[in-house]
Amino acid sequence: MSKKDAYTQAGKTAVLQNIQGTLHFLQRFPPFNQMEQSHLAYLVEECQLRFYAAGESIIKPVDGPVEHFFIVKQGRVVGERQPVAGTGIETTFEITGGECFPLAALLGERATRTEHLAGEDTFCLRLNKAAFIRVFSMSDAFRDFALRGVSSLLDQVNQQVQRRAAETLGTQYSLNTPLGELAMRHPVACGPDTPLRDAVRQMHEQQVGSIVIVDGQRFPIGIFTLRDLREVVADPSAELTAPVSRHMTASPFFLGPTATAFDGAMAMTERHIAHVCLVENQRLCGVVSERDLFSLQRVDLVHLARTIRHAPRLDTLVSLRGEIGQLVDRMLAHGASSTQITQIITLLNDHTVSRVIELALTERGDPGIRFSWMCFGSEGRREQTLHTDQDNGILFEAQDATEADAIRERLLPLAHYINQCLAQCGFSLCNGNIMAGNPELCLSRVEWARRFAAFVREATPENLLGSSIYFDLRVVWGDEQACEQLRRQILEQVAGNRLFQRMMAENALRQRPPVGRFREFVLTRQGTDKAATLDLKVQGLTPFVDGARLLALANGIGASNTLERLRQLVAKAVIDPLDGAAFEEAYHFIQQTRMQQHQRQTRDNLPYSNRVDPDSLNHLDRRILRESLRQAQRLQSSLALRYQL
Amino acid sequence: MRLFDWLRPSALPLADAHRERLARLPGPAPLNEHSLRAQRWVVLDLETSGLNVNRDQVLSIGAVAIEDAAIDFRQQFERTLYRPSQKTNPSVLIHGLGPSALAAGCDPAQALLDLMEFIGDSPILAFHAPFDQRMLARSLKASLGYRLQHLFIDVAELAPLLNPGVVLREAGLDDWIAHFGLDVQARHHASADAQVTAELALILFSQARRQELDSPLQLEQRLQRWRRRKDPGYGL
Repeated sequence: MSKKDAYTQAGKTAVLQNIQGTLHFLQRFPPFNQMEQSHLAYLVEECQLRFYAAGESIIKPVDGPVEHFFIVKQGRVVGERQPVAGTGIETTFEITGGECFPLAALLGERATRTEHLAGEDTFCLRLNKAAFIRVFSMSDAFRDFALRGVSSLLDQVNQQVQRRAAETLGTQYSLNTPLGELAMRHPVACGPDTPLRDAVRQMHEQQVGSIVIVDGQRFPIGIFTLRDLREVVADPSAELTAPVSRHMTASPFFLGPTATAFDGAMAMTERHIAHVCLVENQRLCGVVSERDLFSLQRVDLVHLARTIRHAPRLDTLVSLRGEIGQLVDRMLAHGASSTQITQIITLLNDHTVSRVIELALTERGDPGIRFSWMCFGSEGRREQTLHTDQDNGILFEAQDATEADAIRERLLPLAHYINQCLAQCGFSLCNGNIMAGNPELCLSRVEWARRFAAFVREATPENLLGSSIYFDLRVVWGDEQACEQLRRQILEQVAGNRLFQRMMAENALRQRPPVGRFREFVLTRQGTDKAATLDLKVQGLTPFVDGARLLALANGIGASNTLERLRQLVAKAVIDPLDGAAFEEAYHFIQQTRMQQHQRQTRDNLPYSNRVDPDSLNHLDRRILRESLRQAQRLQSSLALRYQL
Repeated sequence: MRLFDWLRPSALPLADAHRERLARLPGPAPLNEHSLRAQRWVVLDLETSGLNVNRDQVLSIGAVAIEDAAIDFRQQFERTLYRPSQKTNPSVLIHGLGPSALAAGCDPAQALLDLMEFIGDSPILAFHAPFDQRMLARSLKASLGYRLQHLFIDVAELAPLLNPGVVLREAGLDDWIAHFGLDVQARHHASADAQVTAELALILFSQARRQELDSPLQLEQRLQRWRRRKDPGYGL
């Protein structure tokens, strides 16, 4: 190296000092931490550092197509949008150190839809569009991030969740795998007139447990499995020369090849089947068996569901509870989302409740009265976690008050016994005595209707609380007709009672999401806790649950699941599709965080708790949690606006 | 000027190329009434062998340009000067430039020329500007025979002028950094100090605009008035 070069070199490394500092800062955040050093250095070198005093506008819709990419270096940027309906300003998001904006507008070559303002004194790195495009074309990590926007952050979290769970369980198999990929073998099929013996020979030769019977167009019209063969063998009149169609199970259940392993597992569990046909364009293209789905798992969902459903004694059910915990662990490892897991838990819980009722009927004798077992609250919404208590009631038909009293008298001991059995199975007894064994919750349809009507008519605090539990109702066991009648009646009454809606809205605003204007999180210290915490359930999920319930009831939506309610509200144009998606994602993330915490607590033999110290989360999770809680805040402010609170 | 040439202690013969560059250097532009945003500024920080403006040497230079009211990362200047004679003294503890770093530095004449080209006709901002101004002037004279005439604006004066409500006695750079919650990557490194001073300057310019001091000239005039009020004997 010549002396001159040495000088230039010395000068260069020195120039890099400030660039290096900024580089190090950015490397604490995605996607910059995944970018190649040279790409990142180019990005920084092309940046300007700008200062924006609190309240100063950074970009706004009237500026026209966005010309710059911004990264917050220090401070806070808030997005403000004028809601389509109504007046006032709505804060839609907050961007802090390491986060960037406005990706969608920049990539869409359009103006931003939201005014971005400095929420406090703020420094931003600003990259011009030409340099942005250059980095975008050079760096895969950056491009990937930019294209997927904020949702790629969420993807990363999900990847992390899966990786963490997979570490404890050591498998890469994902529940989101399309069924088409799992059913690799050519499906074994035959026509309806094939003799039984030939069909069985084909199964034997191909080493499979099932054969699909197809019509001339290869559409599945039946399935014949080893279970069916057992019946044939047991049947002395059966002829092996008879056509297979005589012994097949007709109209087999089928899914498209793009349906996921999870869909397949749920279908098998719900329907008690071991095979799912895959049909594309009305033609059979594969068969997925229970074994294909769960070959890697020791505990299998279908098997567990079946064992629960056929448990001979209460003790068996009690011992199966532990397996549900293990299953959840595995599901998490296999990439199940919190929604999938709550669905599975709900499903298995439903099976357990049904089996407990059946066992109780056998043991105590059937009183000979038709009744439905209803559940409320989180069970009613199908949002149960492992940490759950009972909220249930009985619904029956009676001619008049006298008959109702008589029936009640006969059902109550049974209901009480069922409550006790459920408690043994891990459904803790309800503190508020919302249980079928309580005479006030073992009612005829007319009595329930009267009670619910009173909730809507007289909006006392107790009634409001009651409506937030009972109006998420669902039948777990027994006839569903009467319950549907009750639901329709509730919807009619709520839709026609603006005052009640307003009171519910007020109620829904009671729990404020714990994010502050200036602080990341607003935390409270409980008793002797070392760290200040927030409550994921009460402060995080409840605002979504309450908000979705109110809007669903007010708009004639019968669904009781929060995410389903949100989806239908979007379909009915009550909430904006973008908002709906954001709420769903946020709800999902909080629930996921909560369930992971529960799993950890179980592993460490700690009592269940919904309280989390945000500092115990990693950087990414913490940011997304904050953003998710802010979505809860947005849902609340939209309620406040709608009901003028 | 020529007359006193013999007075210069180290009249180094300048290379021809250096002389040409020196001749092409623009003089400082007078402060104008354009907006603050339209003015290019250079924020300067020097690390020196000590605090004696008559004896100590400039060891390294960091400079950051503010253009269009933003710090432009493409315009960064940093040089460590070749000072073989520099012995380790206590100020090494502050600037962290040991003899080896200084021996690896570049030719002071070259570095100073680069700096003056970087500065161009822009006014200079520095924290405790009079110190940097005198140190730089002496170095330029010694190495290049160049007379520094650029205007220096002292950020240490600008800050209290624009923040009369903030009571910070004899506030140093660290105090203002803390006051505005700025993030410093490496204090007492010329370029990092220039950077944080520039960030401070961006905040101050933003404040100045809101106080309707939106031109370099107005700002300088207000500073002069402020000095007179603060110390009636100043400048007399």
